[in-house]
Amino acid sequence: MSQSTNPTSQFQTDANRVTADVDRRSFLRSSLRGYQTTRNATQDRFLNYESARIAAGDAKWEAIENLDVYLAQFADKLEARGATVHWCSDSEEAREAILDIIKQHDAKSVIKSKCMTTEEIHLNDLLEKEGFEVVESDLGEFIVQLRDEAPYHFVFPAMHLKKEEINTLFQEKLKSINTDDPEELTMVAREVLRQKYLSADIGISGANFGVAETGMISITENEGNARLTTSLPKVHIALMGIEKIIPRLEDLALMLPMLATAGTGQHLTCYNSQLGGPRQDDEIDGPVEMHVVLLDNHRTRLLADPEQRDALRCIRCGACLNVCPIFKNVGGHTYGTTYQGPIGSVITPHLRGLKDWKHLSHSSSLCGACSETCPVKIDLHHHLLRNRRDAAGKGQGGLAEKTLMLGFTIVMRRPWLYRLTGRLGKLGHVLTKPIHGTRIDPFYAWKKTRDLDDPAKQSFKQYWKSRK
Amino acid sequence: MSRDAILGRVREALSVKTDAHVREVAKKSSHSLPVLANGPDGRTQAVKEFLPFVGESLEDHIAAFKVLSDKLQTEFIVVPTIDSARQTLDELRQKHQWERVGIHDHELVQSCVDQLPVEFLNTSSNYDAHALEKCDVGISGCDALIAQTASALVTNHSAGGRALSVLPPHHVVVADASQMVTTMADGFAIIREKHHEKWPSFISFITGPSRTADIERVLVLGAHGPKKLTIIMISE
Ligand code: SF4
Repeated sequence: MSQSTNPTSQFQTDANRVTADVDRRSFLRSSLRGYQTTRNATQDRFLNYESARIAAGDAKWEAIENLDVYLAQFADKLEARGATVHWCSDSEEAREAILDIIKQHDAKSVIKSKCMTTEEIHLNDLLEKEGFEVVESDLGEFIVQLRDEAPYHFVFPAMHLKKEEINTLFQEKLKSINTDDPEELTMVAREVLRQKYLSADIGISGANFGVAETGMISITENEGNARLTTSLPKVHIALMGIEKIIPRLEDLALMLPMLATAGTGQHLTCYNSQLGGPRQDDEIDGPVEMHVVLLDNHRTRLLADPEQRDALRCIRCGACLNVCPIFKNVGGHTYGTTYQGPIGSVITPHLRGLKDWKHLSHSSSLCGACSETCPVKIDLHHHLLRNRRDAAGKGQGGLAEKTLMLGFTIVMRRPWLYRLTGRLGKLGHVLTKPIHGTRIDPFYAWKKTRDLDDPAKQSFKQYWKSRK
Repeated sequence: MSRDAILGRVREALSVKTDAHVREVAKKSSHSLPVLANGPDGRTQAVKEFLPFVGESLEDHIAAFKVLSDKLQTEFIVVPTIDSARQTLDELRQKHQWERVGIHDHELVQSCVDQLPVEFLNTSSNYDAHALEKCDVGISGCDALIAQTASALVTNHSAGGRALSVLPPHHVVVADASQMVTTMADGFAIIREKHHEKWPSFISFITGPSRTADIERVLVLGAHGPKKLTIIMISE
């Protein structure tokens, strides 16, 4: 990722670099093709997948439209079972709350299972600065942490890396044996991390769902690292966005298979655990303290938008990234956001400001593949259009866009001028042909990667007339 | 950091009703589809009517459980009696050279392992996590087997705590045929009834041995949890 401070130009630079890397792009594509095949097979087993989507979407609508009631219920139930709930308005409050807990316990080492929300609040940076050892235990996260990189995809964090690169990384950082066998590499990580679970004082996890009715968080995973993280250390901290709520425990029976099917193509992920409170009186193990840190961080701003609160129903399955032609071409890091792909492009302008992030609304071909694939039927590509509209409405289109639109209006309102521009365009095309794709071409920026076909001999108007 | 402030903001945000068009899109589809009643009952019904069908009878359920288990690389063994379960466990012991075995106070588990010539670690009294980590296998009970997903549903009561079923490299579940149910919703109903409002602090659906595909999408078993999962179901 480039270190540019302006997100828009960073996007452009990185996108250019990544799209030129044909090898990496075809590597990405082939792994996403694998995903599509497995997912199709799993989806075909459903009696009625389309109806299941509507039902799953309904569960999240009910939760989001009654979020005040369900959030309060969720917190009350958890507290009644001995957990502590922390309410945090923004990243800073959440970081402070977590740091406080760690300090109170005089902890040295922290083990983490995958949690994108901790990426959102930049927790690792802070904890490391404060001198704690923080270890990511999800294999993909562990790999990108060793590389000092952000996750590439919020479900498959290390999908951009080849086994040879991971081999080099492990040899360098872990002094491991020379192997590029995925199984052996996984076992290297397993051995390193085993010891960390047993010695860590604090386990930090995320939450895929918060069940209001019973006051439980639900964690979905394949590796078992989240189970270990929430079983062995004496303190468990779960960081969760306020939108993760679902009304009832039984809703999980629908949501968990939907999440797995859309997310990885599995019919169900290996471990789906519901955790409600620390170790209870009649229980034999588990953490003695459980803290649930609830994070707003501008989610309420998105909630206040009557059109786009829809996006808060997202269950972070990652399917919209997997099918997105833009993601496939520019890759995950280019977005420069915690949540990549279509859903990231929709919510980031709300969470982090339209001004700096409106360019993401254009990182779409409007093909609608994202909306089509979303297991809870979020209207993603239309939300991208709505963001464009809002940016334009707020006069954030920029001078170039404004001038262009003004010119367009003038031309479109005057048929004679329209005809004239058409002819001039043709002439321009012929004249610039010899310099096509070179720097002196006035349309260089657009044409350097595109060929422009010769215009038709006859214009549509002429054709229409001759037809009569 | 205040609960009231955040809940206040949520309430204020919700004072504007959701755009009717956006709300409608989530319901619409290009085909005409069966849609169930809104709300919780509709969703529970959806699990039965829209998710994969696994039949009604125990035989159907066992067959469906077997098909998915093979795919997941779960070893699913149906035996007629407790005696044959004992025998199966002893065969597994020899095959995998078990020396130390983690167990817990659970009637079915206890009666299946009482003759195993191994060293036991019982997690029902204070146990040491390092010692459990050194065990070759953890043997536990469960609350239900889910036919639709080939999962074993466990809680910290039925599975000897949170760690016994995830820390050793091999997890064996012993279950009774009467524990086979159709959907995950049926599984939750069993726990609901058993514990009523006093929910266990840990509930988990275990669906196959631990796995990862984080390196080039190549499936590797035993990422952090058990590399092997064996489910022994006693049918009589
Ligand atoms: S928007 Fe839909 S498809 Fe994209 S991650 Fe969220 S739930 Fe999945």
